[in-house]
Amino acid sequence: MELDELKIFFKEKFDVQQPSKSVEEISLLLGKKAQSVVSKLKRSLLIELIACILLTLACIAIAAFSVYTELRIYFSIFAVLCFLFLPLLWFLLKKTEKLSNTTLPVKSNLESLVKILREYIKRYFQITMAMIPISLILVIFLGYNVNSNLEKNLFTSATTNQLIFFVAWTIAFTIILYYFTKWYLKKLYGNYLNELQELIKELEE
Amino acid sequence: MSDSKEFIELLNQNQNIVHKVCNLYMDNAADREDLFQEITLQAWNGFKNFRRESKFSTWLYRVALNTAISYFRKEKNKPSLQLTTELPEQADEQINQDKMNAMYKAIASLGKIDKALIMLYLEDYNYDEIGNMLGITANNVAVKINRLKTKLKELTKKLYEFS
Repeated sequence: MELDELKIFFKEKFDVQQPSKSVEEISLLLGKKAQSVVSKLKRSLLIELIACILLTLACIAIAAFSVYTELRIYFSIFAVLCFLFLPLLWFLLKKTEKLSNTTLPVKSNLESLVKILREYIKRYFQITMAMIPISLILVIFLGYNVNSNLEKNLFTSATTNQLIFFVAWTIAFTIILYYFTKWYLKKLYGNYLNELQELIKELEE
Repeated sequence: MSDSKEFIELLNQNQNIVHKVCNLYMDNAADREDLFQEITLQAWNGFKNFRRESKFSTWLYRVALNTAISYFRKEKNKPSLQLTTELPEQADEQINQDKMNAMYKAIASLGKIDKALIMLYLEDYNYDEIGNMLGITANNVAVKINRLKTKLKELTKKLYEFS
């Protein structure tokens, strides 16, 4: 059978073979939750944005009311960092919303999807990596100075062995987290990104 | 008329488009239901930006294909052979049932983009319209359709002989 023969059959017969949904069934569907990657990404960005706002407020509150200087310094820095993430998360959320509300041609849609996913993965990775040294240094520096003078610090009063241990531990932790984050992001979005890129390639051939 | 009422009415009139896309891309009833729901939700999300410059059916086709093509399932690589057991049940008596089965099997084994091309071709869209929906040139569509015709002819022949 040739494709053109099928075309004739398709036109004549296919339309009447479809099961149909009632208006009520369609109305019910509108209240359900979308499961596409873009919708999931949108939900996860919204949750991250809300969490970031709450965390910023909590950090500000602790920084303002804590009686411990170390905690005030620690949470002030994190309040600033969380505050800096807010516009980034907002920007990604708006971009994702725009994509899900616009009906682009298939190729442009796939390209936009790839772009947003890449941006999300890149930023997620950068933020995770940036948090490691900041958190470690702050925790160790401030923890070391609990009940002591803040002007005295780990780097001037620690023994060489302690410093070597600290540096080695930081490097090991960073390497582990670096590979773990890469693996985790690849597991979450890697296969999907590859598939999207294959589809774009197929369209371009 | 409210947006939701208008949308539901239009979707109700054009739901065969969504069913066709679901049947083409999914190999079992549960997956087809999930995809139908996803297409409905994506269409509803985009409806406020639908400018009525094109027909609703053409716009819905674009939404449905975008959703189906970018829909991700872990078991996605299995060819959707189930399609072949459903459609030929009502096949015209004059058309050879086995050949029809072979053709559907061949279509079901195609990739996502090729399926979209075949579907739009079977729906009688011209190459310009197909190009606009897919975001490629009409020439590219023509080349791809010709390649697909040859590929499907060979595949159908093989599958028919095998059956």
